[in-house]
Amino acid sequence: MKQPLVPEDGDAAVRVRALVKQYRDGNHANRGIDFDVRSGEIVSILGPNGAGKTTLLRQITTELRPTSGKVEIFDVNAVAFPRRAKAMMGITPQEAGVFETLTVRQHLELFARFKGLAKREARNSSAEIIHELDLDRETNKRVGDLSGGQRRRILIGLALLGNPPLLVLDEPTAGLDPVSRRAVWGVIRRRVTEGCAVLLSTHYIEEAERLSHRIGIISAGKMIGLGTLGELLSLLRKSYRLSYQDCGDQQQVRYFATFAQSQRYASERQIAEYSLARASLEDVYFALTGHPFEENENNDTPCLT
Amino acid sequence: MPDLRDIVSVFRIHLARLRAEAGPFVLAALIFPTAMYLFANAIGGGAENTIRFLAGSIVFSLSLTAISWLGYLLLENRFTGRLKLFAVLPVAPSSYVFGILVFGIVQATLGSGALLIVARLLGARTQIGLLPLVVTILLTMLCLCGFSVIIATRARSFSEGSLLTDSLGAGLVFLAPVYYSPEVMPHTLRIVSEWLPTALAARSVQSAFAGSYATRDLAVLGAMAVISLSLGFRLMRFRED
Repeated sequence: MKQPLVPEDGDAAVRVRALVKQYRDGNHANRGIDFDVRSGEIVSILGPNGAGKTTLLRQITTELRPTSGKVEIFDVNAVAFPRRAKAMMGITPQEAGVFETLTVRQHLELFARFKGLAKREARNSSAEIIHELDLDRETNKRVGDLSGGQRRRILIGLALLGNPPLLVLDEPTAGLDPVSRRAVWGVIRRRVTEGCAVLLSTHYIEEAERLSHRIGIISAGKMIGLGTLGELLSLLRKSYRLSYQDCGDQQQVRYFATFAQSQRYASERQIAEYSLARASLEDVYFALTGHPFEENENNDTPCLT
Repeated sequence: MPDLRDIVSVFRIHLARLRAEAGPFVLAALIFPTAMYLFANAIGGGAENTIRFLAGSIVFSLSLTAISWLGYLLLENRFTGRLKLFAVLPVAPSSYVFGILVFGIVQATLGSGALLIVARLLGARTQIGLLPLVVTILLTMLCLCGFSVIIATRARSFSEGSLLTDSLGAGLVFLAPVYYSPEVMPHTLRIVSEWLPTALAARSVQSAFAGSYATRDLAVLGAMAVISLSLGFRLMRFRED
C-alpha cells in the first residue's frame, strides 16, 4: 500500500502542521496531523467514532487549545489569535443549541450582527440563506417548533452568514433527510464555486465521495490517508470487489487485482450469483482503518483476500 | 477586549427571548418581592419598618434577577449548547458576559421601578435620591451577576448550577438582616451577615430612600463587584484546554 499523501505548502485557507492533542489523562486524540485546505476546495474528514475528527475540527475552530503544533487560517496563527482566525470562518459545531423562542428570521438576523453586518445587510443576508436552505415556510416560526433537521439547517445557515472564506462544518448533514442533505450539498457547492474553502467531517461515505475534492481518513488520531477519491482508490492494489452469498447465506466480499482474477475465482467456486464492482471509498476506508464503515445503516463486513 | 456591537447583539438576543419568557422574570423581579414586602409588613408592620421592608424587597428582587434568573440563563446557554453559538463567533467572552450584564441591569431597573410603584400605591412614602438608588442598583447587580457567572462557569451540571443559584439568590437575602432587625441574630452570624452584599445593598437602598449615599457600604459593594466580576471574566472562556 502506498504511503498517505503528504500535504503541500503554498496558499492555503487552512494549514495544519504536526498537530497534537493530548488530554490530561494522557490519551492522545490527535497525533501529529498535517494537511491543508485550499480555497475553492472541499476536504472531508472520515474516520471511525473516537478517531479524533471532532477534536481536530475543534482545534482548527479554536474551541480547543492544541497541545502542540500549528493551525493557520489564511496565514493567521489560530492558536495565538483565535478571534482573528474565527472572523474568517463560518463554523457549524457538531452539537450546538439554538434559541428556541426566537423565530428563524430573528435567529439569523441577530447572529448576523456578530459577523459585522449592518442591520439591512443582516436582513438581506438572512433572507437569502433562509431561501437557500429551503426554510422559507418556516421564516416566522419559532425555532423551538421546528424539526431536528430544520434546526440543523439553521446551524448551517449561521455559519454561512457574512460569506466567510472558510467553512468548517462538523457533520453538517447529520440527521437530515436525503432531500435536505442534497439541498445542503448544493449550498456548499455554490459557496465553493465562489471561492470558499470547506472543511467538513462526515459520517456519510456517500457525502465524502460526492461532495469532496479531497478526502482525509483519520484513525487513532492520525491522518492515514488524504487525497482525491482517485488517489485514495489507487492506494488499493486489489481494486475489484466481488460480493456474493455463501452457502450459509453469509455475505462474502473478496478483492482482486484484475477483472480476470475475479472471474476465475467465481467460476472455480461455481458462484452463480455475485456482484462485481470497482472498489469504493468504503473499501479504502476499511483497508486503511481496519474498521468497516458504519453510518448507522447496514454494512457488509468485507474481508481482504 | 469587549466590543460594543457584540454586547448589544448579546443583549438583543436575550431581550428577544425575554419577550417569549416573561413569566419567570415577572416572578423573580416583582411577584415574589412584592409578596415578601406585604408579608413582612403584615407580621412586623409599623411605619418605621415599611421603608426597611421596601429596601429589602428591592434587594430581594435584585438578588433573584441577578443570581437565580440570570444564573439560570447562563447555565442554560452553557448546558444546552447555546454558548457554542457564541464561542464559534469572533466574539470576546467578555462581550458575552457584558451583554448578559446589560440585560440583567435593564431587568433590575424595570423590576425595582415596578416595586417602587407598587409600594407607593400601597402607601409607602419615600424621598428617593434617584442617583444614589441607581448607583446602588448598578453596583449590586454587578456584584451579584459576578457570582452568577462564577457559578455558571464552574458548575459540573445544570442541576448542580441551578441548585446553587437558587440557594444563593434567596439565601443571600434571608441571611442578611433585610426583613428583620440585626439584633435578633446570634452575634457571630450578625458580624458575617452585615458584610453580605445583600446587607450592604439594603442599607444603601435605605440611604437612597432618604436621599443620601451610604458611602462606606457602596465602596465595599463596589470592591466586591470588582472581585466577583474579575473572577467571572477570568473563568468565562470560549476555548478549552
